[in-house]
Amino acid sequence: MPFIVSGQPFLRAFMTPAVLCSIAFVAAMAAVLQYSLRAYVPGSLDPGGFTLDNFTALLKPLYAQVFLNTVWICFLTAISTLIVGYPLAYALVRTNKAIIKSVLLVIVVTPLFLGEVVRTYSWIIVLGNTGFINSVLRNLGLIQQPIQFMFTTFGVVVALVHVTMPVMVIMLAAGLSHIDRDYQKAAESLGAGPIRVSLTVTLPLSMPGVVAGVTTAFAWTFSAFATPQLIGGGRVNMVSNLVYQLGFSSFNFPFAASLCVAGLALTIVVLAALRLVARPLENIRAH
Amino acid sequence: MKRFLLALFALAIAVPAHAQDKLVISIWGGSWRDLVAETVAKKFTKDTGVPVEFITGGTIDRLNKEKLAKGNPESDITFTTSHVGWLYANDGLFEQLDVSKIPNAVNLAEEARISPYHLGAWAYVYTIGYRADLLPGMKFESWNDLWKPEMKAKLASPDFDPSHIIAIAAILSGSDPAHWEKGEDKLKALKPNFKAFYTNDANSQQLLASGETPVQVVLSMNAYYMISQGVPITLSIPKEGAVLGIDTVAIMKGSKKADLAYKFINTLYDPDIQAEIAKIKKGSPAVLNAKIDPEVAKLPGVFTTAAQWKQQINIDAKMRAEKTAEWRKWFAENIMN
Repeated sequence: MPFIVSGQPFLRAFMTPAVLCSIAFVAAMAAVLQYSLRAYVPGSLDPGGFTLDNFTALLKPLYAQVFLNTVWICFLTAISTLIVGYPLAYALVRTNKAIIKSVLLVIVVTPLFLGEVVRTYSWIIVLGNTGFINSVLRNLGLIQQPIQFMFTTFGVVVALVHVTMPVMVIMLAAGLSHIDRDYQKAAESLGAGPIRVSLTVTLPLSMPGVVAGVTTAFAWTFSAFATPQLIGGGRVNMVSNLVYQLGFSSFNFPFAASLCVAGLALTIVVLAALRLVARPLENIRAH
Repeated sequence: MKRFLLALFALAIAVPAHAQDKLVISIWGGSWRDLVAETVAKKFTKDTGVPVEFITGGTIDRLNKEKLAKGNPESDITFTTSHVGWLYANDGLFEQLDVSKIPNAVNLAEEARISPYHLGAWAYVYTIGYRADLLPGMKFESWNDLWKPEMKAKLASPDFDPSHIIAIAAILSGSDPAHWEKGEDKLKALKPNFKAFYTNDANSQQLLASGETPVQVVLSMNAYYMISQGVPITLSIPKEGAVLGIDTVAIMKGSKKADLAYKFINTLYDPDIQAEIAKIKKGSPAVLNAKIDPEVAKLPGVFTTAAQWKQQINIDAKMRAEKTAEWRKWFAENIMN
């Protein structure tokens, strides 16, 4: 394999696209950071001089509340996706029947092929006052008045779980597929029932996949825009919606940039904290 | 063979020349693009032989793109809302118009002469649209009716622009849009009645069609479109008047086809084209000499005379461009969150 041993030129060539992308990404981030430190000039597209006003304006309780709401919605979405996605991922990995595997894969992956807006409008049809769920409940005589799903945190989380599901299942499936089935067989031969095997053997051994899935789902949800925008209807707002409301629709790009920078910083802090907490779980390995 | 090669050469140089002769129009997508394509562009191409190409996108996307392409614009003509047009103009993106090259503009309504850079293309109102079938016995004769306790959690308004309801609250509080702060308490009193804020035309339509928000502060042309799609909306013009909205047209600075652009704008102001626009979209003509269908002329929110134009609540477009951020921030902080 001479081209690998003396292959520095190849390595450089392969790395070039990544380096160019990184430069573009860093330049874009620098532009956002620069905008966040500039003053807004009413009626103009060009920003004014350097200022910290955009960041001091973020200290208002309203913005802290939206940032906390965002973290809370991300947390709820990640945990709910884990609960719904784990059995799916387990079935996907463990089933021997190709047809079942194919059906499960289609169910799991389909959301990735739908545009975010189309997917969200579908959920509006399901969750609305005259939507599928309320119509069924009303026809069954279980409710007289429609249950309010739209414009609530619950509605937003339900739609976000659907969006996040493929990522979670794929990561869990990767984690589960690395578990040697002999460990489960050994536990069963020692008299453990299916529930005990799942809780004491399979679940602990799949923890690296769980941690990776939850962390990715959290970060994935943090940047959600169309779903909270349409399902939340301006009543349930995440950081990205605030950027849209206060930045873009009013042409106050410096303030929008400061919200982006603060949102990015918060994501990094939360993900770092999550990683710190999950580190002992990640180290669980079969010995 | 020589003749064949010459013919081939002639064809090769003829194709790019034809492509260069097109006029590029920047406009919103969907029915707005179709409106201009089926009316103005069709006649313009018929009269001049020059094809029209459209670049479509949201208001802000298009503004950002043109800002980045300053001096070498992507389009020759831009359609945008009157106050956003001021942002283009303030940034030097629009050409100062020579109105003598637009003979049909002599009939423009006074309110449609927005600035030396952009002129009204058509007009509409933001007013109250509601589902009478879901609100039996309810009438909206005054904007004050939106504040009634029975309207609790029934109202929606656009999340991208609160200027209409801010102007109304100021007027109902005895002030005007320039001194909007006097309407702050009035607006705060409306907060319980808001159920949602819509983010675009499709979202507005969905909320009204499903009955989630049976009352909306709605753009009249969109309401008529929804009615044509079978949504039973009643449009009401309150006694205080409705809020005037004007979509405008301008020539991009640096356009190499300014002469064609002037011809296009002149075609836009052709009274027959204006009447056609009114018929298709139920908007108000920007010129006062358009002979529009009497059935369309009597619709709420459609106005054809100088006196009718003056009856609308007109928020100064330049002031609106300057105040938008302040209004938007106050609205987000005090009403939406």
